[in-house]
Amino acid sequence: MKKFKAALLKLPRAIGRGFKELAEMFIKGDLRTRLSYLIMGFGSLTHGQILKGLLYLGFQILYFFFFFGFGWQYLKDFGTLGTATQIKVWNESLQIYQRMPGDNSMLILLYSVLTLATLVPLIVFWRLNIKSSYKAQKQIEEGIKPNSFIKDLRTMLDERFHITMLSIPMLALTCFTILPIIFMVLIAFTNFDQTHQPPGNLFTWVGMTNVTDIFLGNTTKRNTFFGILGWTMVWAVFATFTNYILGIILAMMINKKGIRFKKMWRTIFVITIAVPQFVSLMLMSKLLTDTGIVNVLLQKMGWISEPLPFLTDPTWARAVVIIINMWVGIPYTMLMASGILMNIPQDLYESASIDGAGPVRSFTAITMPYMLFVTAPYLITTFVGNINNFNVIYLLTAGNPLTLDYYQAGQTDLLITWLYKLTVNQQDYSLASTIGIFIFIIVATVSLIVYNRTGSVKKEDQFQ
Amino acid sequence: MKKMLAIVLTIALLLGMAPAFADGETITLKVWGSQEDQELLGILIDAFKAENADKTWDISLGVVGEPDAKTRYLEDPAAAADVFAFANDQLIDLVNADALYEVTRNLDAIVAANSAGSVESASLDGVLYGYPMAADNGYFLYYDKSVFTEEDVQTLDGLLAKANEAGKKVFMDVSNGWYIASFFMGAGCSLTLDENGNQLCDFNSEAGLAAGEAIRAFTADPAFLTGDDSVLTGGMGDTIAAGVSGTWNAEAIQKKLGENYAAVKLPTFTANGEQIQMASFIGTKVIGVNTQTQFPVEAMMLAEYLTNEASQAKRFEMRQIGPTNLNVAASDAVKANIALAALSAQGSFGVSQKLVLGTYWTPAEAFGTAMENKSTDDMQTMLDAMVAQIVGE
Repeated sequence: MKKFKAALLKLPRAIGRGFKELAEMFIKGDLRTRLSYLIMGFGSLTHGQILKGLLYLGFQILYFFFFFGFGWQYLKDFGTLGTATQIKVWNESLQIYQRMPGDNSMLILLYSVLTLATLVPLIVFWRLNIKSSYKAQKQIEEGIKPNSFIKDLRTMLDERFHITMLSIPMLALTCFTILPIIFMVLIAFTNFDQTHQPPGNLFTWVGMTNVTDIFLGNTTKRNTFFGILGWTMVWAVFATFTNYILGIILAMMINKKGIRFKKMWRTIFVITIAVPQFVSLMLMSKLLTDTGIVNVLLQKMGWISEPLPFLTDPTWARAVVIIINMWVGIPYTMLMASGILMNIPQDLYESASIDGAGPVRSFTAITMPYMLFVTAPYLITTFVGNINNFNVIYLLTAGNPLTLDYYQAGQTDLLITWLYKLTVNQQDYSLASTIGIFIFIIVATVSLIVYNRTGSVKKEDQFQ
Repeated sequence: MKKMLAIVLTIALLLGMAPAFADGETITLKVWGSQEDQELLGILIDAFKAENADKTWDISLGVVGEPDAKTRYLEDPAAAADVFAFANDQLIDLVNADALYEVTRNLDAIVAANSAGSVESASLDGVLYGYPMAADNGYFLYYDKSVFTEEDVQTLDGLLAKANEAGKKVFMDVSNGWYIASFFMGAGCSLTLDENGNQLCDFNSEAGLAAGEAIRAFTADPAFLTGDDSVLTGGMGDTIAAGVSGTWNAEAIQKKLGENYAAVKLPTFTANGEQIQMASFIGTKVIGVNTQTQFPVEAMMLAEYLTNEASQAKRFEMRQIGPTNLNVAASDAVKANIALAALSAQGSFGVSQKLVLGTYWTPAEAFGTAMENKSTDDMQTMLDAMVAQIVGE
């Protein structure tokens, strides 16, 4: 946490330093440097770095074309997200109501985010251009010839190699991850839902309405959110730890001295991995319906008279989901645990047994601490993965059984499947986006706290 | 200016958002239809191209079933099909999103060729928004003649009594808003819209309460069975002796029942000691033209072609789908179809699905689920909760 705070404090200071530097360079710089504040590359051009200057200038011109030719038409409506809906005009010759395209709130939002994002490289290059002009000015004053373009390029392969290496991944990260996230987050503050669908109806900013809707305004939505959140947590804990502990026990059983055909047992359990997860899940959901094979078989054998409500009773359904998840997940934990168990030095167990420790004591004092130490990060990722475990829930129960207490959700819905239903079935994008933000906050908080407390992080250097 | 345009276009292209530019010759259209319709649509489109050989066509087919059309359309109107089939209960949402071109070309001929009900089902405030394609979106009762007499299938009580006697089941997917509405609307409740386009629902009225108790009694009966289509088609003639479903299962059920295959309008149910006829949702399937299309006139030509008399006759021939076209509906082949006859008999108790908004389905399904789980909660409270969610309180 301390590191995090320190990083937070660093940012404003860095920005402040940046501004100070810019002001300094403006005061100390000559006319050519000062003009670089307006015309990018001017300083470089007049200091004899022709190619570099042309590149800066070209960048600025291109950017202006982009901004005024493309970005501005969307950015100017960013405050309202558009006002003119698509309109119809009667076309006598075609005998149709021709559509005159209006604004499209979604495109305005999307391209505004994109345009705003391009301001970042603009500012970076603008600053670089001033700095380089100032540096060249200094060097000339000191009688040194400023770097030629070739020399500059060489530094990219040398002392500034990290920039060369990381710029492309950074660009991709920004385009494919950061920008979409910003876009999605912004939707949470709009009223983009079923009744505000462009191009017929536009949506606009509504501030925190969606958040207050969940927590204050609407009882059903609040009940749904907290009800589902509670079940999501219960599910994540059970799904993670049942798989983990039972997987370890299974691995230990197979690993035990005196057990024959170890490889065969392991293979048998691993075979479940060979069947794609979604196939087994969908098959299971078919098997367990009221008229599915399991119920029919039990009825034919006369064990039950009414079908067992595997997927229709809330409590049954929740238990079934957890149990089937065990069946799907244990083989993976078993494989991982087998590897780690074989790694535990046998002499630890031997000395333990000499000291009189039984199998239970060895398990709690040697095996589990060792396993936990090694697998804590794995546990956290699994836990987080289970909070967002869309597949198992959606393919098995689709969130059902539905209940009237919840808003468009069922009793086995996780936050993530509820979010899916809201977007896909109800087009309630703004509410879904709000929930998405909360899921992120929950997941991030849990992971950060737990991760920083694990032995693997605290005692990283003490391992073995 | 040219340079600027080039740059803008390059950027648009890079973003993968490049609008499709026509070279003036080829007319590119995308059509959405259900998986089962693909073969039929392929044949019809080829015929359409042959008839209009003066233009170059590039018509592609996509698989989006009628029930999903609205959802998929709203995901990205510009990327949606130019011509797509949808169920008419999506009409309001689509019109609100200004998704559909009004039918203005050949309007009179289209109105005259199709049944008045189907035209009405695709209209809003007197404006026709699509080309009626099929009138089969409804449900009725299939039954096994070896188990029930014509007398038995008149009342739900009669059905259940006979089924219990024979150790068979009566199937109805009660945990589905589409079917469960049958009880409520039969009892006189309605789903309508207020002047702002918000859903109104009175399923929690006194009549609704009686219908709710009737549903509870039905689901509590030992002979009651629920499930999806596969349960019905799998069990019919074996454990199931009667089931509520629509024409899309006609072929499968006929195959299972053979000689004993029969279909009839829905039975009556008992509420407050009276016999009340079960109503049903009647929906049509409609072909719409996307307002975002580059070729509105050509798209309209195609939509009209796909729903004209010849195409509807072909659709009935290949898929036994009920026509909206009056001439096709009057043909002997259609009249001889048992399922379609039952559907049209049920038609007089049908309620248009047009005024049902998307918020209806999940709460109604939740209520149905509670019924199937033999919930003993207070009926009025449950109905109030359901209605509150439907009207979006």
